[in-house]
Amino acid sequence: MTWRYLLAILLGGLCYLDRTAACQLMLHRPLVVATLMGAVFGNMAAGAQVGVVLELIYLARLPVGASIPPDDTGAAVFGGSAAAIASSSIGLDAGSFTALLLLSVVVAEAGKTADRFVRKVNVRIARLTAESVDRGDVQAVEHGLLAGLTLFAVTGMVLALVFSGAGVAVSKELLPRFGPASRANFAILLPALPLLGAASVYSCSRTERTAVVFFLTMAAVFGGTVLFRWSV
Amino acid sequence: MTMPALATRSRSAVWRRQFLLQGCWNYEGMQNVGFAYAILPALRDFYANRPEEALKAVKRHLEFFNTQPVMGALILGASVRLEERVAAGEADPRAIGTFKVGLMGSLGAIGDSFFWGALRPMASVAGALLALLHPLLGIAALLLIYNGVHLMVRRRGFAAGMEGPEGAVGWLKRAALNVRTDDRKLLAAILAGAYAGVFAGRFLVQGGGVPHALASLLIAAAAVHLFVVLLRKAVSPSEILLFLLIVGVLILWR
Repeated sequence: MTWRYLLAILLGGLCYLDRTAACQLMLHRPLVVATLMGAVFGNMAAGAQVGVVLELIYLARLPVGASIPPDDTGAAVFGGSAAAIASSSIGLDAGSFTALLLLSVVVAEAGKTADRFVRKVNVRIARLTAESVDRGDVQAVEHGLLAGLTLFAVTGMVLALVFSGAGVAVSKELLPRFGPASRANFAILLPALPLLGAASVYSCSRTERTAVVFFLTMAAVFGGTVLFRWSV
Repeated sequence: MTMPALATRSRSAVWRRQFLLQGCWNYEGMQNVGFAYAILPALRDFYANRPEEALKAVKRHLEFFNTQPVMGALILGASVRLEERVAAGEADPRAIGTFKVGLMGSLGAIGDSFFWGALRPMASVAGALLALLHPLLGIAALLLIYNGVHLMVRRRGFAAGMEGPEGAVGWLKRAALNVRTDDRKLLAAILAGAYAGVFAGRFLVQGGGVPHALASLLIAAAAVHLFVVLLRKAVSPSEILLFLLIVGVLILWR
C-alpha cells in the first residue's frame, strides 16, 4: 500500500500544481484526477465513474478574481481512491457511489480552506520578494516564485496524502458498516447528482439561445437511452 | 539611443515562464511576482549594463497585477515590446503601468467568460460523455479540446503582443472571442443536455411503460431547473450537496 500512497502523493502534487500555480492544462480536473487515483488504488474504471459525475458539479463556481472555488481536485482524489477500494472490497453499488460523491463535499471545502491559507502565506513571500528587490537583489523575484511554487506543490502533496487516506479509510471502515438495504436507500439520491452537474454547466453557459436547445437535447437523448434500454 | 535587442533565447524564456504566472498567487499583488518572473529574461537583455534601470523595471512589474492567466500572454508580450521602447528612450516608463492596468481588467473579463464560462464547461462535458465509453477516451477529449484552444491563444496572443500594443488590440479584434464564447456556450448547453438525458434515462427509469418514462423526464427537467435557479441565486454546489448529504443521513436514520 505504501507505494500506492507515494504514487498518489506524486500525481496529486502534480495535479494540484496544475490547478493554480502552473500551466492550467486541466490535469487537475476531477475526471483526470479521479481516474488516476482509481488506477493507483486498483480500479481505474471505478475512479472514472466518480470522476464523470464530479467533473461537472463545481463548474458553476468560476475562479474569478480573488474568489476560490471548492477544491474539486481534492474531491476527486478522495472519490477516486475511495471508489477503487470500495469496488474491490464490497463492490461499488449505487449506495456507496452516492455516499462517496456526497462525502466528497467535505473534502472540497477543506481543500478550499487550504488553498486560501497558501495564498495568505504567499502574501508574505511576495512582500519579502519586494523588500529584497528594493535592496537591489533582482534575483529575489526568481527565488520568490520558486518559494510560492514549492508551497503550492507541498500543500498539494499533503492534501493528496490526506484525502486519499481519508478515501481509503471511508471505504474500508465506514461503508461496510451499512448493510445492503441501507445503501440501497441512500441510492435514492443518486439521480440528483449528475443532474446537478448538468445544471452547473447549463447555468454558466446560459444565453438566450441555450435554454430551448438544452431541454430539447435532454429530451431527445433521454428518449434514445430509454428506448435502447427497453430494446436490450 | 539604439533599440536594445531581445535575444531569441530570452524571448523563448519569457514564453515558457508565462505558464508560471500564478506561481506565487497572493491576495495582495495577486500575479505580480509571476509577471515579474516571466518578463525578467527580457529585462536582463534590455538593461544589460544598466543595473539601476533594471531594478526600476523589475519594481514596475511587481505592482499589483491580475488577469485571466491565458490572456496574460498577450499583456506579457506587449509589455516586453513596451519595455524595449522604454529601454531605448522612446517611451515613458509610466506607459507600461497604464497599459497593464488598462488591459488586465477587460482581458480578464473576456478570458474568464471564454475560458472558464464556455470552453472549460464544453470540454468537461464532452470528456464526461466520452468517458462513459472509456475513461481514457474522455480524458483525451477533455485535454485535447481545452488545450488545443488554450495553447493556441497563448501562442498567438503572445506573438500579437510582441508586435506592440497596436498589434495586441488588432489581434483581439480579429480573434472575436465574444462570438466564439457564445458558440461554445451553445455547444456546452447541447452536450450538457445530452449528459442530463443519458443519466436521467439510466437512473430514473427502472422498468415501467411510456407514462412512467415521461414522468421521469419531467421530474429530471424540473430538478435541473430547480438546481439552475438555486445556482443563479448564488447557492453554491457545495451547499446543495451538503443538503443532500443531510437528507441521506436522515434516510439512514429512519
